[in-house]
Amino acid sequence: MAISKNLKPSPGKSVSSGRRVTLNPKVARRSFLKLSAATAALSGAAMTTKLTGKAVAAEKTQPYTNSTTVRTICTYCAVGCGIEAEVQNGVWVRQEVAADHPVSRGAHCCKGAGAIDMVISEKRLKSPMKRVNGKWTTISWDQAMDEIGNKLTELRENDGPDALHFNGSAKVSTEMAYLQRKFAAFWGSNNVDHQARI
Amino acid sequence: MTNSLNDIRHTKSMIFIGSNATENHPVSMQHILHAKEVNNAPIIVVDPRFTKLAAKATEFVRVRPGSDCAFIMGLVNEVIANGWEDKEFIRTRVAGYQEMVEVAKHYTPEAVEDVTGIPAEQTRRVAKILAQNRPTSLTWCMGGTQHTIGSSITRAFCILQLVLGNMGKSGGGTNIFRGHDNVQGATDMCVLSHSLPGYYGLSDGAWKHWCRVWDVDYDYIVGRFPDKEWMGKKGFTLARWYEGVLAEEELETPSPVKALIQWGCGTNSNSQYNRVVKALNKLELLVIVDPFPTAAAALTKTDNVYLLPGASQYETSGSVTSTSRQFQWRFKVVDPVYDSKDDYEIMSLLVSKLGFADEFYKNIKEVPEDITREINKGTLTIGYNGQTPERIKKHMENWHTFDIEDLQAKGGPCDGDYYGMPWPCWTEEHPGTPILYDVSKPVAEGGLPFRNRFGLEKTYDSSGRKENQLAADGVYNPGSEVKGGYPEFKDVVPGTNWKTDLTQETLKTAIKRGMAPFGNARARCVVWNFPDQVPIHREPLHSPRPDLIEKYPTYEDQPNHYRVMTRYKSEQKPELVKEFPYVLTTGRMVEHMGGGAETRSSKYLSELQPEMYAEINPRLANNLGIRKDDMVVIESPEGSKIKVKAFITPRVDDKTIFLPYHFAGTLMGESYLKDYPEGHEPYVVGDPGNTVTNYGYDIITQIQATKDGLCKVTRA
Repeated sequence: MAISKNLKPSPGKSVSSGRRVTLNPKVARRSFLKLSAATAALSGAAMTTKLTGKAVAAEKTQPYTNSTTVRTICTYCAVGCGIEAEVQNGVWVRQEVAADHPVSRGAHCCKGAGAIDMVISEKRLKSPMKRVNGKWTTISWDQAMDEIGNKLTELRENDGPDALHFNGSAKVSTEMAYLQRKFAAFWGSNNVDHQARI
Repeated sequence: MTNSLNDIRHTKSMIFIGSNATENHPVSMQHILHAKEVNNAPIIVVDPRFTKLAAKATEFVRVRPGSDCAFIMGLVNEVIANGWEDKEFIRTRVAGYQEMVEVAKHYTPEAVEDVTGIPAEQTRRVAKILAQNRPTSLTWCMGGTQHTIGSSITRAFCILQLVLGNMGKSGGGTNIFRGHDNVQGATDMCVLSHSLPGYYGLSDGAWKHWCRVWDVDYDYIVGRFPDKEWMGKKGFTLARWYEGVLAEEELETPSPVKALIQWGCGTNSNSQYNRVVKALNKLELLVIVDPFPTAAAALTKTDNVYLLPGASQYETSGSVTSTSRQFQWRFKVVDPVYDSKDDYEIMSLLVSKLGFADEFYKNIKEVPEDITREINKGTLTIGYNGQTPERIKKHMENWHTFDIEDLQAKGGPCDGDYYGMPWPCWTEEHPGTPILYDVSKPVAEGGLPFRNRFGLEKTYDSSGRKENQLAADGVYNPGSEVKGGYPEFKDVVPGTNWKTDLTQETLKTAIKRGMAPFGNARARCVVWNFPDQVPIHREPLHSPRPDLIEKYPTYEDQPNHYRVMTRYKSEQKPELVKEFPYVLTTGRMVEHMGGGAETRSSKYLSELQPEMYAEINPRLANNLGIRKDDMVVIESPEGSKIKVKAFITPRVDDKTIFLPYHFAGTLMGESYLKDYPEGHEPYVVGDPGNTVTNYGYDIITQIQATKDGLCKVTRA
């Protein structure tokens, strides 16, 4: 089984990465410390620096400075667990369980407990891309939409609207799912489907 | 789900068949275990594997993959043979009962044992447990549906609950646990090739209804299609879209498929994955909209591939419908990160570029709230009307005011509403319907009878008996003007019915009269528009029991099955089992989801579950000379192969191999990580299980039959 290069086990370093800096350097530093402290507590490792020690004590009981809490719903399964997301300066810095949510009542599975990773994962696509001569190349949204739109228009003129198939999603909002179905209707084809089929 | 996760707290017994909730819906377990511990409710788990849910069961029933229908019809027969059926419920609320009983008689405990491998004594015992512990909550998932006879298996589940009188009751119900977070909402919006939103279908009337909602001329939409007749014909499905590209099978379509938009959907959850990959590479245009690149991006080697970074659902807002039919609002947590855009904006760019933005967005200014309002306006069939954006948000802000036992707000700003206004929620005053088909409550307070959808009477083909399809006298919701069955409402506003009256006067009038807009009828045991009017067992296409094929043959081949020839009889080859002796079935693990593009991009989840594997019984492993952690090759009758690690475990029996299907990134153990955009590769990779899932599709829905194929196993 291959494990890609970014996940080499590194004993003693539970959490890697200052790479979260891409979001907002100041905040990323703070969340890094927080995450390290939490992981250290779980693994029983001792935190040595005074700075980190203070951060642990404060952050366990207090919100981040000037942070707000946003209510949302986990994006994994259809149980629909509540999430309380703590946001500071436009950055999602911590998630809390929703203890009084009537269905999940503060529970999470391992996926929901890491919901924040959907936003902070380094693996997220960062800009539109296209394969050029076999190599992935970053392009602008304008170029992407122009080229996609032109090709779709060309196919529509030559082959008709049924030359396009649209696989939509059970992972978008109901409003977006509705737009996906409406798109097919206005495009002029019933070649539209999504995961519920399987 | 007819009931809700919370309502399972009130059940007296539970049967899970083809569901592994412990792993796939872990947070639901608190309600399930509450019923087990507080009500002393038995948990019966029917599965080919001893799953994590089976570990919590009081009764584990190991069923041969694909034989679920025979077992359930066996329970139906055993219940009736002992006089345990709910006679009054059947007399007043069920149709086609006698015709169904004639079919069920075949499934004696001994006949069931022959087909399913379940000891006759256990079938008798389970029937008795269900009869003595009512109401029962019945749950199924993909283990019940992903078969050529999936549509019969699921109907058998419903018939069992009707016979036991478990429908429309707290603690009862058919409680299908939906998979993805918004598969209920997306299904209700019919991102499906056979229907317009709200299950309106593709009839002329359906198109005219939605054109009125969209506020566009019907003729404008007609003009967008190659021809009017294609508006009423089903499109390709997610299960077989690639056949439209490959054009190697007999097709019925105006054009082969040359472009694909893949929006929030992994490809490696498709069976026949090698064919999928072949089709991806034949496309003239592939557009992938996703937060992560997905396996399709790496496996498509051509230059016609675009990756559009879609923001996650935490970077946008909108409603989502849970498995319990509850609407919840996702408030936006943060703006889209990097140069990603949310779904609405990407759609808007696409529609503008294609030149129909004015018509498409005619009444949509505020996004997403105006879209919710358009849905509220048009989706009358299933009562998506009273869940306005304002009300959904109010429920979110006050979720602590809802009682966990019945999900009703006790006081506070949402007083009397059920959490998330489970559909149908007919009007802005309606509280939502927490339990479907419950005649103990007034319709205005969340009660409902069964829907009148299939005419007023029917003469059955098998018996020649004519039966009134409406509910018997004496069955009605409190406050109903009519004290018995009644047809659906129409002509309250002349020329319209309850489904097409956009003023929604019909809904309001019905409710004011204490009645359901869709009538008060009986639930059908005989579905005369299906090839099997009453559910029967048919052997899987690739059967490990060739001796049963003659007795339980599959269907005739189906030309133009969602535009493509779908083989049944010609694919059912009795000799296959000689070369491919083991049953292949698939499923999930708690750490991953779907094709795994998201979860394998999470370093924490990847660390928890980093490897693809095949579950092999110790006896089989020893007989084949396979030891723990050996690599094995699994081969399908279609000639596809994967190379994965052997996980030797008695969870499966010695005739069955189990694969999780979340992996991608290697082919026969060879990594193709270099083909992902650099820096965006998943943390963990493996061979996709669906490379070896077999050919086979449900006769009605075309769902892929991934749970009952055959395979060959060798040490690599």
